Amino acid sequence: MSDNETPKPQSTGELSRRDLLVKAGQVGAGVVGAGALAGAAQGAPKRRKAAPPSGGRVTWALEQDPVHIAPFGGILTSNHWGKAPMYESLIEWDAKLNERPALATSWKAVGNKAIDFDLRRGVKFHNGKELTSADVVYSIGLQLNPPAPGSVAVLGQVPAIQNAQALSKYKVRINLKAPDARLFGYLAWNRYSAIVPEGMYNQLNAGREGIGTGPFKLVEYQPNSHVEYVRNQAYWKKGLPYLDALTFKILPDEQARIAALRSNAIDGATFSSDSAIVLARDKNLKVLKGLTAAFRELQFTIKEGENKPWHDVRVRQAVNFAINRQEILNKVYNGNGDYSGMVPPGYGPWPLTRSELRDKYEKFDLAKAKALMKAAGFEKGFSVTLTTFSTPLDFAQVASVMKQQLQRINIDVNIVAQEPGTFAAANGKGSFEWDLTARGMRGDVDGYMAEYNPSSTAYRAWYPKYKNVRVWRLVGNGRIQLNQSKRLPMYKEAQRLLMNDVVQVPLVAVTKYQVVRKRVNNMYVAFSDFQTGLHTTVFVKG
Amino acid sequence: MIGYLTKRTVLVIPTLIGVSIAIFLMVRLLPGDVIDIMLGGDTQASPEVRQQAREQLGLTGSYPEQYWHWISGVVQGDFGESLRNTEPVSNILRTAMPITLELIFLSLLIATLVGVPLGVISAVRRDSSRDFAARLTGLIGISIPNFWLATLLLLFTSKVFQWVPPLTYVSPWEDLGANLSQFILPAVSISVFTLAIVMRMVRATMLEVLSLDYVRTARAKGVPRRRVIYRHALRNALIPVLTVLGFEVGVIMSGAAIVEIIFGLPGVGYNLLQAIFNRDDPLIQATTLVLAVTFIAFNLIVDLLYGIVDPRITDS
Repeated sequence: MSDNETPKPQSTGELSRRDLLVKAGQVGAGVVGAGALAGAAQGAPKRRKAAPPSGGRVTWALEQDPVHIAPFGGILTSNHWGKAPMYESLIEWDAKLNERPALATSWKAVGNKAIDFDLRRGVKFHNGKELTSADVVYSIGLQLNPPAPGSVAVLGQVPAIQNAQALSKYKVRINLKAPDARLFGYLAWNRYSAIVPEGMYNQLNAGREGIGTGPFKLVEYQPNSHVEYVRNQAYWKKGLPYLDALTFKILPDEQARIAALRSNAIDGATFSSDSAIVLARDKNLKVLKGLTAAFRELQFTIKEGENKPWHDVRVRQAVNFAINRQEILNKVYNGNGDYSGMVPPGYGPWPLTRSELRDKYEKFDLAKAKALMKAAGFEKGFSVTLTTFSTPLDFAQVASVMKQQLQRINIDVNIVAQEPGTFAAANGKGSFEWDLTARGMRGDVDGYMAEYNPSSTAYRAWYPKYKNVRVWRLVGNGRIQLNQSKRLPMYKEAQRLLMNDVVQVPLVAVTKYQVVRKRVNNMYVAFSDFQTGLHTTVFVKG
Repeated sequence: MIGYLTKRTVLVIPTLIGVSIAIFLMVRLLPGDVIDIMLGGDTQASPEVRQQAREQLGLTGSYPEQYWHWISGVVQGDFGESLRNTEPVSNILRTAMPITLELIFLSLLIATLVGVPLGVISAVRRDSSRDFAARLTGLIGISIPNFWLATLLLLFTSKVFQWVPPLTYVSPWEDLGANLSQFILPAVSISVFTLAIVMRMVRATMLEVLSLDYVRTARAKGVPRRRVIYRHALRNALIPVLTVLGFEVGVIMSGAAIVEIIFGLPGVGYNLLQAIFNRDDPLIQATTLVLAVTFIAFNLIVDLLYGIVDPRITDS
C-alpha cells in the first residue's frame, strides 16, 4: 500500500493506559496519579526536534453531515465530527487511548461514590470567560438532562452520575449513584461529556453554535455544507494548535471526495479500501490506515419459547470454528484488518491477545466444526435468515463469504440486506434470527460487555435464555470496581468465557483509510473514529 | 382565461390533500424511527428511556391526531421542527428551495435550448448525417443514468483540469459567475435525459407537422422556408413538447436528489435523502410535499401555457 503513518506524540509525557492502570491501583486510596501526569507533562524530551510550523488551513471532507453540533444528548459519530474541535472534557485520550488530564489536572476518589477533580487554572472559553467549577456543574447537569436538540435517548451511555457539586472555584466533586468505573472513560471519550460555560444554552442555538475550550473556535456551521473553525489563540496547550483554520466540508459521495482531493479542493478525507488503493498511485497524496473500534460481529437471538439449533452451544461453537476470518479479510478487505474478539484489538489493554484469538478461540477448524454439528445432532444442517445492512457494501460482502463458509457445515444462510434504519429498529427489538452488525467506539470496556449483564436491555431482547452466572458476576462486578488493575483480569476472564459460549461471534476489525495531500503532516487514523489528529497534531508544510 | 386558471387551481387542492395523506402514512410505515437512529447502535437504552425520548420529541399520539397537528401547521406555513437538530423546517426549506429551483430551471433551459434545435435539424434534414448524429445523441442521452454522468464529469474535470465546482454553495446574487460554475455540471448531468426526450419529441412532431396541408400551402405561397419551419411548424409542434417538459420536471427533481448529493449542493433532494436516513419525519414530510407542490405547479404552468400556445384549449 502506501504510507502507514503513525502519529508522532507530542512532548506531553503521556502515560500509557497500562501505566495508568498501575497508578489507578491507588484509586481506593484516593490518587489516580494525575499529579504525576501533570508533572511529567512539563518534562523535557531527551532529543528535541524542531517545532512543527504553525499556520495554514486544512479542509477535510466529512462523509456525513453532523446534522447538529450540540454537545449533549443524542450524539452520533458524525455529530461529534462536527463539534469535536471546539469542546473538551475533564480528561482526554491521546492518539493511543491513554487517559490524561485535560481540563482537570488531577482527580481523587472519595470513598467509592464520589470523585474530586482539580480544575486547570487559567483555562479560557472561546468567549473569554475563565473555566470554573460552576461551568462543570452546569455541564454535568445538562449531560444528565440534555436539552434539545439532544435527547435523553442516549442516557444508557452515561455512567451512574448523581450530580456534580462545586467544592471551590477550581475544585468540583462528581457524586455517583453507585460505584461506576465507566466515569473516567466516559469523560475521556468526550462524546457526551463536554464542558461548556455556564448558561451557554441561554445564549445561543447549541445545534448551530457553541462555546468550548478546545483548540478551535467555531466560525459557522452550515448544515449539509460545511463547519468552519479558526485557531483558539488562547488555547491552554501552549503553541497549539498548529493550524490557523480548519474546515470540514460535507461530501457524502465518495467519487466527489476523490475529485475534490485530486483537484486540491480538500486536503484529506476517509475512503474505502478500493479507492485508497487507486489514490495511492497519486504522487501528491499519501494513504493512512489504521484499525478503528468498529468491528464486525455475528449476533444470535436465544429466546425463551423458541427452539432454534443455535440454542445449543455446540452449534454456536461450530459456526465460530467454521468461519475463516482470514478469508473474510482477504476477500472483502484486501487482506487488511485483524481478528476481533468481544473487545476490538487496539482498545487499550482490554482485548484478548492476537495469539489467543488466532490460535485458540477464533482458529478456523472445519473438522472440529463438523464434529460439533454432528455431536449436536445437526450434521445435516439447517436454514437461517441473516439480516445485515445494505450499506456500507462490505456487510453484504462479509455475509456472502460467511454463507459460503457455513455451507461447508450444511448451514443454509439466507441473507437479507436492510436499510440502516430498518435494521436498527429490528436489532433493537431482537426481532431477528442472526444479525451481521458492527460495533463502535465505547468510552469504557463495559460498553462492549454490558449486554451480557442480565439486567441490560440488550440481554433481555437478544438472549434471555442464555445463562452463565460466572459471566454475569464478572461483568456486573467489573462495572462497579473502581480499581482499574483489578478490573482487567475480570474482563479478560469474561471474554474467554464468552468466546467459549459464543453468544455472539466477533469477526473482524476493519481497517479505515484516510488519504491526505502531501502537505498535511502528522495526521493519523484515530481508533475512536474521530478525526482527533486534526485538532492538535496536524501541521501543514508547503 | 381566469375561469380556466380558477378551475385548474381548484383541482390542485384535492390532489394536495391526497398527496399529504400519502406522504404522512408512508413516513409512518417506514420501519424504525428517529430514536433508533439517535441511539446509533447503543444497546443500553431501556424501553422506558426510549418512550421518554419519543414523548420529548412529540412522536406519541394517534395517527389522525399527528396528521391533524402537522397539516394544520402546514396550512399556516409552519412545517414543524427537525427532530434531529430542532431547526424550523421552513428555515431549512428556505435555504434549500432556491438551490433546487435553480437546478431545475437550468436543466430545463439546457434541455430546451439544445433539444429543440437538435430536434428541428433532425426533422428538417431527415435521414441525413446530421439527423443520424442527432438521433444517436438522443439515444445516448436516454441511456446514460444521470448519477453516472455526474460522477464521470466530476472525475473528468478533476483528473484533466484539476478543477471541481466550488464546494460551498454560492448564491447567484452574491457571485453569478461562481454560482454558474457551480451549477453547470450538475445541470448538464440531469438535463441530458430530458434533452434527449425533447429532441426526439420535437423531431417526431415536426415530421408530422411538416407533412400537414397548411405547411405545404405556406410553402406553395412562397413563404420563406425558415419562416415556415419556425413560425408555422415549430409553434404547433411545441404543444406535445410542453406536455413532456411538465412531466420531465418530475424526472429532473428525482435526478436532482442524487446529483445534489454528488456535487454537495444542499438542495431539497439532498435534504430529503438525509432526512430519510435520519428518520427525520417532519423534514421528510415537508420536503416531499414541497417537491409534490413544485411538480404540480410546473404542470399547472404548462396547462396555462397550452392556453397561450393554442387558445382553442382555453376556449374548450
